Amino acid sequence: MRYVAVDSSALRIAPLDTLSAIYHRASGITHIVDSPVPELLAALAQPRTVDELLAHLSAEYDVPDADSAALAERLAELEGAGLVMRA
Amino acid sequence: MSDDSSTPEGSTRRRALMLGAVGASAIVSIRPALAQAAGSVVTCEIPVPDPARAGKYIAADGSLVDPGTPGAFPPASGAFKGEDVKRALTGGQLPGTDHDRSKAYTNYIRRLQSGQSGFTCFASLQMPRG
Repeated sequence: MRYVAVDSSALRIAPLDTLSAIYHRASGITHIVDSPVPELLAALAQPRTVDELLAHLSAEYDVPDADSAALAERLAELEGAGLVMRA
Repeated sequence: MSDDSSTPEGSTRRRALMLGAVGASAIVSIRPALAQAAGSVVTCEIPVPDPARAGKYIAADGSLVDPGTPGAFPPASGAFKGEDVKRALTGGQLPGTDHDRSKAYTNYIRRLQSGQSGFTCFASLQMPRG
């Protein structure tokens, strides 16, 4: 199972201090998100499995809680919000 | 994802990224009023493509192209039910289509914008669960 973020042209992302507002043009919904959501969307500009994504994030960042179960839950949440889809 | 947020090249200090605990949530969604007013997800329909652009073919990425474009699919014979689209958006297949055609149609639906036929139905399908 691979996941990919919706096309970045469909999103307008505005940093709000520690949070970010993501306006999804297609659905008209605004999502207020905390880290690691913007980082996950950036990493999912190309399709990746949960394991590939975790490896990519671990290479880019210090990930003290590199837990694939937690990452899978973040992805499910993003999928439910319509920001990530299965590739 | 934004254009001006780049990581310095050759940076030696890496930023910490917390994935968060299972059960925690990192997203709060603000729904537009139009979506709350939308009809039932089960009964609303999405034509592929919009009748205003009838006759166009649908490319694999969901863009509309001229009829006969190689690799593109002809329009769907009928509008899809919201329930079928909801299933397709989460990895299922649209009825009466094969895998590639379903993906092209689903990509088209994901690109719908306000003012296009089916947008309100699509927006209501995007409502976060619960």
